[in-house]
Amino acid sequence: MDKKLDASFERVEKALAVLIDSMTKFTPSEKAANDVVKAERELFLGLEELEVHQRNVARIKQLKQETEALDAQTKQTISALWEMRKELVAVAPTKFTPAKEEKYPFTTQQLLDYARRISRNTLPPPGVTNGIDLSTAVPTTPDDQAAGGPNASFAASIGGGSGQGTAASTPAPGVQDSFVSQAPSQSQTGATELPVHLKPAVNPLENAPFFTFPTIDRIRSGALAQCQDLVNRGIDPKNYDPEEEERRIKQEEQDRKDAEERARQEREEQDRRMREERERMARERELARQQQQQEGGLGDRRGSILAPGQGGGQPRRSAPKQFTFLDEDDDDEDED
Amino acid sequence: MASEPMSVGSSAQDPPPVPDATSQEPKYGGHTRFELELEFVQALGNPEYVNYLASRKFLQNPAFVAYLDYLQYWTRPPYLQYITYPTSCLKMLELLQVERFRKDILSPNLTHALVTEGMKAAVEWHREG
Repeated sequence: MDKKLDASFERVEKALAVLIDSMTKFTPSEKAANDVVKAERELFLGLEELEVHQRNVARIKQLKQETEALDAQTKQTISALWEMRKELVAVAPTKFTPAKEEKYPFTTQQLLDYARRISRNTLPPPGVTNGIDLSTAVPTTPDDQAAGGPNASFAASIGGGSGQGTAASTPAPGVQDSFVSQAPSQSQTGATELPVHLKPAVNPLENAPFFTFPTIDRIRSGALAQCQDLVNRGIDPKNYDPEEEERRIKQEEQDRKDAEERARQEREEQDRRMREERERMARERELARQQQQQEGGLGDRRGSILAPGQGGGQPRRSAPKQFTFLDEDDDDEDED
Repeated sequence: MASEPMSVGSSAQDPPPVPDATSQEPKYGGHTRFELELEFVQALGNPEYVNYLASRKFLQNPAFVAYLDYLQYWTRPPYLQYITYPTSCLKMLELLQVERFRKDILSPNLTHALVTEGMKAAVEWHREG
């Protein structure tokens, strides 16, 4: 570009020199003047071109700057990506629980049961404040009030029907105000209401603490304490069941009683048998005696029959027999 | 409440089975391992009890620390549903895994703060508004 311009300038200068030269010689040449004009026009064209050129250079410079900025941005993005990738790789992968661990599906009923079970240990009973002043409640924002708050929406959802539920859960403000304003007047006039300063006295939960963990007393009366007690008594709690032990002792007691009862029955049975035996023997003797008597009677008769002839000594022999029988009867009586 | 030091070599055990009518688990003083461990893990929710354990140097016993780690099965189903003091018990079990806490709980101030803060949170958590 410079060369082109230089050439144009040179032509203008030369043409001008030729024109001046011709003018100084007082022979002005029209051709020389035209040359100058022509050269000058070319110079102007060259200058215009230069202007375009300069503008283009400026644009190129600007574009170069833009390219550099974009390059920098690209580099930055790439390095950020690289960093991020490094971080991602560095993050320890979550160890998924092994497949053997199953999922535990549960029903809504089970969930509600659990909630009911834990609520006595997580939700303080009404009136228990643990010494915290609840009167300084967190102020509600007007937005909350306008929306009815989370509880209101919950109440609305419980309310059932779409139109009915919302109507029931959002009573007219006037109704609510009148209800609130009635409450204190009732407490003043109602005969069943206690004065405010006496209310704490009848509330068993007044100043009662609420813990979300088992108290020390509870721990002391638990199964672990029982085990410790057994250890203190020198009993190994392993495989030792106090209930089982009690049952065993009771069983032993029962067995002992049963054995005693059996022994007593056996004794009674033996006594009874002996008595029966004695009675039987007595009966036999009685029978024998009666038989003897009968026989004796016969003998007497026989003796009386035989007396005149042969058996004169016979009746004398039978007579002492009768006395022996009498002796035995006496013995029986003594035994009885 | 056990006062005897535990042996360091006690081997890790699997969690006890969930009780059912047919189980024939060996009993310790009339209670199954499941019952005893459930009671113990819930007793850990009481900061004063943990402080007592710390004062008896239980929390410095490696075997006891391993036992605390083992007790974490209570944070998973199906055991989780048996815990009736979930708020304090599970948090304390988590804290007890940290060595710093096991040392710090020896301080009566921290114990007292845990009790009062726990009581405060129990009420404020349900505060409406």
